[in-house]
Amino acid sequence: MPDSLHPAPLAKPTLAEVEAFLYGEARLLDERRFEEWEELFTADGYYWVPTEPGQTDPLTRVSIFYDDRALMRRRIQRLRHPDIHVQDPPSRTVRIVGNVRADHEETEDSRTLHLHTSSLIVLEYRLGTQRSFGGLVTHALTRENGSLRIRWKKVELINADGVFGPLAIPF
Amino acid sequence: MSIGIPTAQAQAPLQTSDVASLVRQDRVHRSIYQDPAIFALEQRQLFGKAWLYIGHESQIPNPGDFVTLKLGTQPVVLVRHKDGTVHVLYNRCGHRGAVVCNEPKGNAASFQCCYHGWTFATDGALVGVPQRKGYAADIDLRDPSLGMVRLPRVASYRGFVFASRAADGPDLDTFLGPVRKSIDDIIALSPDEEIAVVGGVHKYEFRGNWKHQIENLNDMYHPFFSHASTVEKDGRQFQRRSGDTEGAQIGGQSGGPNAVFEKIPLRGFPFGHSLCGAMPFNGERGGPVFEEYRRRLIARHGEERTRAILTVDWHNTIVYPNLCLQSAAQHIRVINPVAVDRTEVYVYPILLKGVPDPINHDVIRYLNVTHAAASLIQTDDLEAFERIQSGIETDGADWLVLARGADKDVEEADGSWSGIGTSELPMRNQYRAWTRYLSEGAL
Ligand code: FES
Ligand SMILES: [Fe+2]
Repeated sequence: MPDSLHPAPLAKPTLAEVEAFLYGEARLLDERRFEEWEELFTADGYYWVPTEPGQTDPLTRVSIFYDDRALMRRRIQRLRHPDIHVQDPPSRTVRIVGNVRADHEETEDSRTLHLHTSSLIVLEYRLGTQRSFGGLVTHALTRENGSLRIRWKKVELINADGVFGPLAIPF
Repeated sequence: MSIGIPTAQAQAPLQTSDVASLVRQDRVHRSIYQDPAIFALEQRQLFGKAWLYIGHESQIPNPGDFVTLKLGTQPVVLVRHKDGTVHVLYNRCGHRGAVVCNEPKGNAASFQCCYHGWTFATDGALVGVPQRKGYAADIDLRDPSLGMVRLPRVASYRGFVFASRAADGPDLDTFLGPVRKSIDDIIALSPDEEIAVVGGVHKYEFRGNWKHQIENLNDMYHPFFSHASTVEKDGRQFQRRSGDTEGAQIGGQSGGPNAVFEKIPLRGFPFGHSLCGAMPFNGERGGPVFEEYRRRLIARHGEERTRAILTVDWHNTIVYPNLCLQSAAQHIRVINPVAVDRTEVYVYPILLKGVPDPINHDVIRYLNVTHAAASLIQTDDLEAFERIQSGIETDGADWLVLARGADKDVEEADGSWSGIGTSELPMRNQYRAWTRYLSEGAL
């Protein structure tokens, strides 16, 4: 039996735990709690929205978002800036996260990454215009000090290679 | 809407002679951004006559390689034929007009229409008609109008492919004139003197007229205000070039814009082209990767020439009406008017052959930050463009003012114009060309 001297191997998250985590993440973004959202990522975490369906490389092809923590912070700092004109007034968003499924596991250094896919729909309203976005999201989750953190999150929009009006809020 | 019966609102088609009354030396009438008749006239007289940038040859290196794109609302194909020649074809079947090729890019031995199976060679020629005997023997299937019709003129300057929808007009070298140097400068950044436009494309759009975008590209008046959300308290912007340790100095010591912006040189050239001098970046670029890149340039060109190559003295160069090159966030930008109040813009990173890989990775990384649809920079410009389009709906006033620096425009002996800093000279230069294109139809 595991005890304090012999801890159990880091527990694989249950589907219910992952669902609760993803719903919580969606709510943070809808409530514009961007700093708390950023904190969900590991120190080396990143957030990626490719421009091409099936894009495998963020280094050699452009991306709509490809943010490490530092760029996330800069983006959030700008979202809080009084003169971010494209968020005057701010967007209102609501997200639906569904069809959450466990994918595979990967080992990265000493960490275990639990990959989960989900379907995402985002509605955004600003200045009289409502837009909708949707796609398949992959979260690579890992456990740090008992809680789930995002090592990386990839949002594959169904219209990744389409033409976009200005975007300010992460999906 | 009535059909066929003229209504009280029906207007006579806009005459080219009306156009001159919409542009004054230092202001333009709001209708040039709003009136569908002017948009149609622009499409015919300006976009229908000027050389338009289509793509770069590195996008179609091999015979049969193609990319599809749109010129305005017109679908076209940029393709390399089996003999190596580059063609721009209207993406339209010669039979009953269907779009032939729907893939964004690929390689094809020939193109086949989905509807009745007509087949076209990669130079547009009709080469196959199923059940040929159903047509009278004397119908000439070699008639080029039954193929995928080629744009009448296609020419390339050092891999940059341009096409014109007009059979006649100045040749590409004459059209480009002094802005060829900006293309040369970008190519010189590659130790192999070769660029590759293979890093994908950012596509953004805004609900506004295309001219808001082209006016913005040499507008040095706006950054401090439009991009305030990207400027730190010390006036600096974030880093956006490989090897830099800091970003451009947008704000000055006293809280306002950096006074250096008032000294940046501006040049206006014939045909509406223009450029603005480099942004105020401070300090030497460095770091191990950048030093390795510099070494490779020196190996080819020596110290002195390398220093000149790395000191690109322009920020944005506009090739009017649809192309802009940027040196800082190194890219090709193509402006595509879709409707009088809707514009699409495509932004392609320019990758350099012969550099250490991280240099090109940085080009991509910084371009995401500055020019993606979700960028930290471009989105605030788009907000301004959309606000102009809404603001000019009001009956408050009819004219938009482009007067800044107008008393200091200097006409040079070679027919170009110079000015400095936050002058609206580049816009005035654009409207000189615009008026000539629209009123005469040619330059
Ligand atoms: S429309 Fe293309 S083959 Fe008939
Ligand atoms: Fe700008």
